[in-house]
Amino acid sequence: MTDSASYVYLAARDLPDDAVAGVTGLSEGPLRLVRSAGLVAVVSTVDLAEFGEDALRRNLEDLGWLERVARTHDEVVNRIGRLTAVAPWRLATIMLDDDRVADLLDTWQAELNASLARVEGCSEWSVKLFADVSERPAADPVGSRQETGTAYLQRRRTETARKADATQSATVAADQIHLSLSQLTAASRRLPPQDRRLTGHKGEMVLNGAYLVPDEQSQEFVTMVKQLGDELTDSRLDLQGPWPPYSFATLESAGTT
Amino acid sequence: MAAVFVRHPRIRGHDVSTTITDIGQSGTPAESRQDSAAAHQPVALVDLLDRLLGAGVMLSGDITISIAGIDLVEVRLHALITSVRAEMRSTDPTVSRTEPREVIR
Repeated sequence: MTDSASYVYLAARDLPDDAVAGVTGLSEGPLRLVRSAGLVAVVSTVDLAEFGEDALRRNLEDLGWLERVARTHDEVVNRIGRLTAVAPWRLATIMLDDDRVADLLDTWQAELNASLARVEGCSEWSVKLFADVSERPAADPVGSRQETGTAYLQRRRTETARKADATQSATVAADQIHLSLSQLTAASRRLPPQDRRLTGHKGEMVLNGAYLVPDEQSQEFVTMVKQLGDELTDSRLDLQGPWPPYSFATLESAGTT
Repeated sequence: MAAVFVRHPRIRGHDVSTTITDIGQSGTPAESRQDSAAAHQPVALVDLLDRLLGAGVMLSGDITISIAGIDLVEVRLHALITSVRAEMRSTDPTVSRTEPREVIR
């Protein structure tokens, strides 16, 4: 029985043997390639004392640990993603040894090839729409000490109604924007809106969209998003990217439009 | 490693096309890059975890040392919210709620 295992970062179709030479992954372990079924996986050795099932349960609750692993995983995906199309594996996918990694490639050969074909030459972009539901200063600049209870309640009601209207119209705008961008892009997904407690964003996130864009069309996509954003009044668009195609290179995303 | 919370300017749409950042590790030589490959931008931790935990390749079976029985998204939210709340207690809550923040190293 071994006390170490193989952490799988990603799968690709073609990588030269020296593609990961001298590059380290988690725990400073050197990256290596595992080949099977015409595919190649990038892996490194991790200690089961840190990545075993019990340890994972504990460590996934540790933000510092989670961030370090996610960032390292991302760095490896980025590095290899500059060389070839990559299908990133889920965080903390750990096989007992390299033979099991090869089995993994054999088992998922068709799906991985489909994923890699889908994302070849493409990058992921994130478009988020925030409804502006921020507090506005009262129109009447009367100090709060002079404001009557009735006036205060009236102001609160007006503010609440305005926020509801802003959210409603932004939700409609989110559907329209997502539809427009979906028609322009190779694939798209709507992810759940993020929790404000995690992001600290202003307003209400009504769209958390991921779009797979061919790299030669990225300028066109950016221009399109900017135009859509310019048309908005009470909400704002946030564009980020390009990123590795995390939302589209995965087996479970095979059914996306 | 402790998580550090800092204010980080959001990348606006009109900046993205002109902002090129080498996200490779500092100190390592630049590697050959295909002309068609995009220079990828850094991903905010929340966005990264959205994707690495929520959309990664899913496996089941005894060949994977899985985290069976744990909803990873719940784990993530629990871990992050706990940390964010701890951070907010030690700062001005008004500032922390109104300024866009991202978690970085």
